Amino acid sequence: MQSIKFNKKIYTLEAVEKAIEEFKNLADFSLKEAGNYIEVKMDKTDKEVKNILSDEFANYVLGLMS
Amino acid sequence: MTDNKSFRFKIKDNLLEFKINTKIYSLSAVYQAAYLFLDKVYILLDGDPQKEVVVIMKEKSSFASASAKAMADKKASEDKEPVDLEKIAGEFYNELLNQLLREKVSQTNAKIREYIVSQALYNAVPNEVDELLKEVEEEDWQEDPLGIAKTWEEQNLEGKKSKKGKMSKKGK
Repeated sequence: MQSIKFNKKIYTLEAVEKAIEEFKNLADFSLKEAGNYIEVKMDKTDKEVKNILSDEFANYVLGLMS
Repeated sequence: MTDNKSFRFKIKDNLLEFKINTKIYSLSAVYQAAYLFLDKVYILLDGDPQKEVVVIMKEKSSFASASAKAMADKKASEDKEPVDLEKIAGEFYNELLNQLLREKVSQTNAKIREYIVSQALYNAVPNEVDELLKEVEEEDWQEDPLGIAKTWEEQNLEGKKSKKGKMSKKGK
């Protein structure tokens, strides 16, 4: 299982949720708010994208913030 | 770990980390600059936007080894120049300055820009007063279906004449 934490002061929950909606075909996503962070966990990741999924996801969320 | 004091980069395990003072560079400038580098590197932002934003960069090409498709991508990427994270971080700083300048220029020209847009919209939409005047000009003002244009004498003398006529007929 992979996970990535987004700082709430920099990333909005809406952007993270929208990114999950776009990436939902590549893995099972779960979202949890913990303190100052939004934690996104990815399970059953598509083999072809396993190594890059979390980083591509982070880039996508950042793209939505711009 | 290497530490470049002039720009204060930290490089560890293909990750490059540096801090940006948000009292100098706004968070929106950081977003815009980061957006321009999304195709070259992976970027994650952290820290406190009130003080310092931490930028974490990761090479994209270092992950291209998982699948057959990724192998093909790797071969293609080998032909290209390897990504130099320090160079990209330097370019990122330059881009920050660029974005900051854009923001300043945008703020300075905000009123002029609003004025130009409002003028353009004003000229594009037909003027209501002009339309009303055109309607009035097109109306046939000589028609008087309610008899408003008649004077008091005209109205009352006609009435008296008709009454007189009726009375004289009765007397006969």
